Amino acid sequence: MIPVKPEKLFNLPTQKLTLGCPVLDRLVRGGLPVGSVTELAGESGAGKTQLCLQLLLAALRPPALGGLSAASLYIHSEFPFPLRRLLCLLPSSAPSSAAALNPLDHVFVRPAHSPDDLFSLLAAADALIARPPSALPVRLLVVDSIAALFRSEFDNTPADLKRRSSLFFKIAAKLKEQARRFGAVVVVTNQVVDVVGVSESDGSSSSAIRVGNYGSLWSSGRRVCPALGLSWANCVNTRIFLSRSDEIVRSERALEFGESDDRDDRTVVRTRRKMEVVFAPHLPEASCEFVIVREGVFGVETQRPQN
Amino acid sequence: MEIANLPISPSQRAKLLSAGYTTLTSLSAVSPFQLARDLNIALQEASDILKVMPEFTRSESLHGGNAILKGAQTAWDMLSEEQMQKHITTGCENLDTILGGGIHCKEVTEVGGVPGIGKTQLGIQLAVNVQIPVEYGGLHGKAVYIDTEGSFMVERAHQIAEGCIMDMLDKFRHHQKVILACQEQMQPNSFLANIFYFRICSYTEQIAVINYLGKFLAEQKDVKIIIIDSVTFHFRQDFDDLARRTRVLSGMSLELMKLAKTYNLAVVLLNQVTTKFTEGSFQLTLALGDSWSHACTNRVILYWNGNDRHAYIDKSPSLRSASAPFSVTSKGIRNATSQCKRVRMM
Repeated sequence: MIPVKPEKLFNLPTQKLTLGCPVLDRLVRGGLPVGSVTELAGESGAGKTQLCLQLLLAALRPPALGGLSAASLYIHSEFPFPLRRLLCLLPSSAPSSAAALNPLDHVFVRPAHSPDDLFSLLAAADALIARPPSALPVRLLVVDSIAALFRSEFDNTPADLKRRSSLFFKIAAKLKEQARRFGAVVVVTNQVVDVVGVSESDGSSSSAIRVGNYGSLWSSGRRVCPALGLSWANCVNTRIFLSRSDEIVRSERALEFGESDDRDDRTVVRTRRKMEVVFAPHLPEASCEFVIVREGVFGVETQRPQN
Repeated sequence: MEIANLPISPSQRAKLLSAGYTTLTSLSAVSPFQLARDLNIALQEASDILKVMPEFTRSESLHGGNAILKGAQTAWDMLSEEQMQKHITTGCENLDTILGGGIHCKEVTEVGGVPGIGKTQLGIQLAVNVQIPVEYGGLHGKAVYIDTEGSFMVERAHQIAEGCIMDMLDKFRHHQKVILACQEQMQPNSFLANIFYFRICSYTEQIAVINYLGKFLAEQKDVKIIIIDSVTFHFRQDFDDLARRTRVLSGMSLELMKLAKTYNLAVVLLNQVTTKFTEGSFQLTLALGDSWSHACTNRVILYWNGNDRHAYIDKSPSLRSASAPFSVTSKGIRNATSQCKRVRMM
C-alpha cells in the first residue's frame, strides 16, 4: 500500500482569502493562502483582533470577491469576544454569498482557557469542520491569541520551556493538518516582547537570535519582537507584524483620519499603523501603512519613500 | 576494518563479536544461514546485517580491493567518477563556490537556519535548478519535494522557475541552437510538472514516504534531488522517549544515504534551529540533537550578518569551512547585491 502519493503541483489549492481591503491585499499578493498558518503579531492595540474580525466576514464572501464562501471558527483567549465591533463591521462588509443570509450564523466562537484546552478543542473541531452545522463549510480558523495562553502557564526553566515547545509543535502540527485537510486558512495572533540588552547596530549578537528581519521591528517607540521565542517562530509559515506609533503632527490634514485627540487645529496626535511582512515563503519583505476606522481596517498608499 | 564501525544495533554488534566475527573480512564469506546459526538470531536479521555490509564498505573506500568484497571500489575509480559528476547550482555563484560547484549528488546535505532566512527558498530553487537542461549546463533531472510544514507555495515555485528560465536564456542568448533545442522544456509549467510533491502531516507519514521512495525512484530514474522541508518539524512533538527518536532518525538517515548512493542523487535536508541549554546559558544550535549531526555529509548554516544573508559550511569532509553572502530576490536565490538597495515591494 502506498501511504502518500506524489501530487501534481497544478492540483494544489492556491485560493486566497482577502484581507478585505485592496491595498492590504496587494501587500500580501491577494490575501492569506489556504493550507498554511499565518501569524499576526503586534502589541496590544495594534489591530490584530480588528483584522481577525474583518477576516471572519471576508471569509463569507463568494470566491469572486476574494472570499471562500465559508464559515469560520474563532477561538479566543484574551478578552470577551468583541461582538459589538463585529456587528459594527457588518454593514460595510461586501455582500456575502447567498447561503449566508445572516452572516453571524456562520461565525462559531469558542473560548480557550489553557494550551491543553486549546489542543483538545482543535481535536474536537475536526468533527465540526467535517460536518459543519451551517450550510457553509468551515474554512477559516482563528486563534486569538496563542500568546495569551502560553505566556502565563510556563516557568522560565529548561524543563518547562521544553514542555512548552513540544506543545507548540503539537498544536502547530494540528493546525497545519487542518489547514491542509480542509483547505482552510489558519490565522493565529501573537503578542510582542521587548528586546533588551542588544545594541541597535548588532541585531545578530549571540544573545539575541534574529528571526526574519526583526532587527527592525519597532512599535510605540520600543524595539520589540514577537513573543513565544524561536521554537514558535518555527511553527508558522507566514509572519505578519502590526505596529503602531503615536506621533504629533501640526496639520489639519491629519484630521481626515478621524483619530485625533484634539480638534483645535493646532496639535494633533495621530496613530501611524504599519503592517509588515516579516517572513513568508511567497512574499518579499515589505510593509504598508494602514488605518482603523469605523468601517474596518484599511491600507493607506503612501507617497513617502520606504526606508 | 572493524565490526565496531558497522551501522548496526549494539546488541547485534555484541553478538557478532562474541561469536568471533571481529573483522569485516571474516563476515564477507559467510552466508546468512551460517550467520543466523552462529549468532542464534532470525534468518531475516542475519541477512539484514549482511546487507549493510556492501554499502558500508563501498562508502568507506576499503583498501581490500574488488576481489575481497563485492561492491568495493578503489579511491581512484571514485575520483574519476566524481570528476564526471555535475553539481546542482544554487543560483548564487558565491554559494556554489564554497559548496565546491553546487550541491553534490550522492551526498546528503543539511541546511539549517532561523525562520525567514531562506531555507524554503533554497529548497524550491534547487527543485527548479536540478531541471536545467543538459544543453544549458544542468542535470535535466526531476525533483522530489517532501513538505512537512506546508511552506511550499506553487506561485513562488512558478516565479523562481520563470526567473531561472530568464537568466538561462540571457546567459545563452548567443547560442540560438541551444535555445531552439530546448524551447519546450524551458517553460515554467514544465518545470512545475517535474517536481513530485509530497505533503505529509506526521512523522509516521514521513518515515513511510521515505521508505516508499526506494520503490518510487526505481520507476522514476530521472529524479536527481530529494528535498525534505523540513526534516525536523514532526520530530519536535510527542517524543518523550528521546532514545526512540534517535533510533527512528538514524534509521531514516541511513535510508536517505542509501537512496543518495543507489540512485546517484542529491539529498537536501532542511533543518530548524533551536536553543540549547548548556552550562547555564542558551545557545543556538541545529535541531534534533548531537547524534543527528552524523546523519549528513555536509552541513550548511544560513545566518544573518547585519542585514545580509550568509551561508557557512559548518561540516564537510571535503570542503573547507568558508562563508559566502547570498540574497533572496524575486527571481530566487542570487548573489548578494550589497551595493544595490534591497528589493522592496510597495
